Amino acid sequence: MALVPLLLAACSTNVVVSGDYPSALTKPLPYHVGLVLNNSFTQYTFKSEEEQNVTMALGQSQSKLFDRVFTDIFANKSRLQTVKKQTATTPNPIDLMIVPSVEEVQLAMPFETRLNVFEVWIKYNVQVFNSNGEPIADWLMSAYGKTQTRFLKSEEAALDQATTSALRDAGVRLIIGFERIPEIRDWIEQKQKEQPEKNKSLAKSGDLS
Amino acid sequence: MKGFCCSQLFTRIFFPGLFPITCLAVVFLTGCSTSTVIDEYKVTDTHLDLNQGEQVVIMGRRHAGEYETEPDFINCIGGRLANGGQLKVMPEQEFLDSFYPWFEPRIAPLKLKRMSRILEDPMIAERIKSLGIRYMVWVDGNTETTDKSGTFSCAVGPGGGGCFGFASWDKASIYEAIVWDLKQLDEKGRVKVETKGSSYMLAVGAPIPFIAQVQSDACEGIGNRLKGFFLEGAPAESTTPASAPKRNSERMLDHRGMIKS
Repeated sequence: MALVPLLLAACSTNVVVSGDYPSALTKPLPYHVGLVLNNSFTQYTFKSEEEQNVTMALGQSQSKLFDRVFTDIFANKSRLQTVKKQTATTPNPIDLMIVPSVEEVQLAMPFETRLNVFEVWIKYNVQVFNSNGEPIADWLMSAYGKTQTRFLKSEEAALDQATTSALRDAGVRLIIGFERIPEIRDWIEQKQKEQPEKNKSLAKSGDLS
Repeated sequence: MKGFCCSQLFTRIFFPGLFPITCLAVVFLTGCSTSTVIDEYKVTDTHLDLNQGEQVVIMGRRHAGEYETEPDFINCIGGRLANGGQLKVMPEQEFLDSFYPWFEPRIAPLKLKRMSRILEDPMIAERIKSLGIRYMVWVDGNTETTDKSGTFSCAVGPGGGGCFGFASWDKASIYEAIVWDLKQLDEKGRVKVETKGSSYMLAVGAPIPFIAQVQSDACEGIGNRLKGFFLEGAPAESTTPASAPKRNSERMLDHRGMIKS
């Protein structure tokens, strides 16, 4: 009887995603962003029991990615516990608050697709709030990564690599797509009209950093 | 295949008793062979300029859904092209990280026109300049198993274990490399390589593999040809006038001197 859990564990795939993400080569937006990464995001673990037991802990790795990307695409970035209204007396007020969450994760393994590739799709919901704590955008963003099977390479290593590749792709979508979200574009235009002087000084500090 | 038929006829007529032995010998002698066909196109016959401090980067295409150009194949070409330090080659991953996200599969430029638009961004142009990246070589293709046959089984018992059976598989590598000049923003040439090979595994007790090095032969073929673009003395012979674009297609011989097709 004691062997049963051992045998079940031997048939399951456990992955802790361990990717590292580079700095983005991009001009930062001259705003102060607040990033809210709640526990359900930082400790996110995907579990699948269809055909094969797969457990994939990607919370830490995706937190590292979002932290890196928002540090690079904005002139200033702070980590926040929750979305909170910025008052006139708040020192160094935050312009935008970002709350990402995982909507869905899908895997495709070679035994399902008959292709020599492991594929990973991740769907995020990126909620954006203004300094008053009001929602201004709800962006559903999907990312995709794959890796080919290799001789003598474990399923764990392949899934880790495919997920890291999907997270790099999520980074691409955030860097390229964030300021193209219509609501964000409108917000930036509005902000530029309201505070041209403030933007100039923040841009200068962003360039220096 | 033609060789096999001839030997079959010969042994059947003259040495009928030796037929099974001859069959096995032919199978194993041809077993690990690979055949490589290289097709090369160069815009000019002169070697490509690479000044002091300038380097080449080799990149794999990964935008297709069903395959990706293997990173280890790209590293293999890079190693061949570097030729013991004669040519400076930037590792692919280092390049991807330095220019993140502009060369990730989702948005990497497929054509020179798109590349020139990317280079209009002063941040990207500045980094290309500071790293001295003069040429970008895009490699597209992969290696796949095209056919499998035979059966093979292993068993372990209290008295020991062993394998019995025979299996064979064919692999094919098809790759194309395109050389872009980032200074002049034009294409300098292409190399296409097609390598095929069959591998066998015979097991009577212990398994004995006869593995054809398909991918490494393709790497050698494409790497040596690319070397010829940059270095003198590398295999890039010409039969056409210097002014005319050159297309050099050839059939190669394997290590036993057999014609590969």
